Amino acid sequence: MPCREHRLLRLRVKGLAQDNGLKTMTFQALAQIVVSGLLMGLIYALIAAGLSLIFGLMDVVNFAHGEFLMMAMYAMFGLVLALAVDPVLLMPIVAGLMFALGAIVYLGVVRHAMRAKVNAGMVQVFATFGLAIVLRGLAQLFFTPDFRSIPNTWLGGKTLNLGGIFLPWPQLFGGAVSIAAFVGLYLLISRTDFGRALAATREDAGAVALVGIDRNKVFTIGWGLGAGLVGLAGSVMAIFFYIHPDVGGPFALTAYVTVALGGFGSIFGALAAGVIIGLIEAITATILPTEMKSLGIYAAYLAVVFVRPRGLFGNI
Amino acid sequence: MTKSIHPTLNRRTLLGAGAIALASSVTPALAQQKEVLIGAIFPLSGASAQVGVDAKHALETAADIINGNYNFDLPAGKGGGLAGLGGAKVKLVFADHQADPQKGRAEAERLITQDKVAAIVGSFHSAVAATISATTERYQVPYFSADNSSPSLNRRGLKYFFRAAAHDEMFTVAMFDFLDTMRKRGEKVNSVGLFHEDTIFGTDSSNAQRDTAQARGYNLAVDIKYRANSPSLTAEVQQLSSANPDVLMPSSYTTDGILLVKTMSELGYKPKAIVAQAAGFAEKSLFDAVGDKLDGLISRASFSLDLAQKRPVIGKVNEMFKARSGKDLNDNTSRQLMALLILADAIDRAKSVEGPAIREALAKTDIPGEKTIMPWTKVAFGEDGQNMNANPVLLQYLGGKFVTIFPESAAIAKPKWPMN
Repeated sequence: MPCREHRLLRLRVKGLAQDNGLKTMTFQALAQIVVSGLLMGLIYALIAAGLSLIFGLMDVVNFAHGEFLMMAMYAMFGLVLALAVDPVLLMPIVAGLMFALGAIVYLGVVRHAMRAKVNAGMVQVFATFGLAIVLRGLAQLFFTPDFRSIPNTWLGGKTLNLGGIFLPWPQLFGGAVSIAAFVGLYLLISRTDFGRALAATREDAGAVALVGIDRNKVFTIGWGLGAGLVGLAGSVMAIFFYIHPDVGGPFALTAYVTVALGGFGSIFGALAAGVIIGLIEAITATILPTEMKSLGIYAAYLAVVFVRPRGLFGNI
Repeated sequence: MTKSIHPTLNRRTLLGAGAIALASSVTPALAQQKEVLIGAIFPLSGASAQVGVDAKHALETAADIINGNYNFDLPAGKGGGLAGLGGAKVKLVFADHQADPQKGRAEAERLITQDKVAAIVGSFHSAVAATISATTERYQVPYFSADNSSPSLNRRGLKYFFRAAAHDEMFTVAMFDFLDTMRKRGEKVNSVGLFHEDTIFGTDSSNAQRDTAQARGYNLAVDIKYRANSPSLTAEVQQLSSANPDVLMPSSYTTDGILLVKTMSELGYKPKAIVAQAAGFAEKSLFDAVGDKLDGLISRASFSLDLAQKRPVIGKVNEMFKARSGKDLNDNTSRQLMALLILADAIDRAKSVEGPAIREALAKTDIPGEKTIMPWTKVAFGEDGQNMNANPVLLQYLGGKFVTIFPESAAIAKPKWPMN
């Protein structure tokens, strides 16, 4: 078995060198790996942003995050089917619907879970985890477990060929949306009254009541924003990924690692960690047998946890 | 093989037999109930739920054929229930394994000990079939493998394991027979590229393909094992693309199949030919999602709807299935449907719902191919429970539907080669 892996490795290296011939071509293969990793990383970051925001605001880990992503993808699918308009134009609507879903989930589930007198942390975990199972079950019941995808979109299936480096338009667009979302989030938090209220509530949720901030309102909007962000991610992914009740799982797992690696509650950390994870994944898959490509991500995560438990940019 | 079973397993088998003996003191009452319970364990939720939900429709169609009044020329197809048991009706008890071998084992145990099923059919995932069939062996209840394709499953000396359909070595031989034919026709088919997922299905399938490729002088241009349900397959596709084999041979379930095709198209990689080990590449939802990029894809199959032209009963059964599911029968659903018919026929002949009696009847099965909906020559099980007469076919996806292209005796169209 190890013998075969060695042979494979050699084969692979040989393949890269032989088929591409010249050194410049090898550079091309490398550039492709880096760019693909970067684009995927920006999307991982966008998925993780909402999770990070909610955690930073109120110390609640949303275990239904992957299901929020799935709901956003189905929302986009349904809207495209109903309105026959391109997904790019429908993104604000999906984000708005997800904002509403996030707010409802806070008011209907999380707010009550936070009132638990004993073991509040566990109650929140079980509440959001249960919510995840309910959402997935409802999706399978109403949307059936058939795989969906959105055909004939402006961006879907189109690729930009930059001198032999292939940049799929949906992912390029996703990367741009991701960066724009992070800039918007930064401006919101640092430049607006709401952002200041958010930061104050994060510092001391009890004391803000004294200065007239309604913490329930801040939390509601926080959950809305968190879900709205994952709504953006779902809108982009609906263009290039299959849609299925279980689609959220693998992405949610990556998002948890992203948030922990970047530092709990740090928005910039989520962006940096997302990009780092995308790059590590692409590079690991190139040097190790591909079935081990997650190894790099978790190794990096473990290393950070050992050396710097609060994550790269964490301030908690 | 049987001799090597660990002594503790024997003790367990005895215990299991004891439990059954105990249970059988209650069963006479059950036998009067005019119902035979059969367990069906499939992935009804999770990433492969779509296959499980379709399997449910297929098995319910088969139960309808057995219990209703249709009089088809199929095993247990006379209708009116099982004559050997006084017209007892077949009743299915479904369980969900979520693609998890441990859940499969637990559900098998529950179906046997609590629901007292006479036999179990399953389970799509070969990895889950491995644990289910170990459990059914312990309780001496037959496990009828409908759509598991790993060759290792029938090589564990199990007495209660039966599989009427081909396994991946038989499928692989057919695939390479076809490649040999293309070679003889003067096409350039020198290298193959393997792309397989990392559970028993992908591993066994790729082992068979690797060995056969080497034995028949095909160059292995690339050999990629990937993690199932991956969020991205970009790096994997880059390696496929740089190796650019003459034939790409994927062994993938639906999720990864869709992502593979989408990623290939995004990275501008057009494989010269694809010959797939079915699974995801037999599923309608994959072709709904990415079928436009797959004109010319070839997949192995156990079933071909083209055969309905020669055997009208296939068309009728297909209509019954379609009324329930909205889909045509495919590689997976045809095998599931057929499995229940063969199993019910054995129970009918056994005139009993006891595991050992059904096992004996299954071992004596001898059904001519014309009495099935499959392109098989016949159904008869070897010592290991495998039917070696389950001839596979190759289908090509042309103009939005599958047509049979191999073997020539069953072909209705010439293969399009290369696909890109």
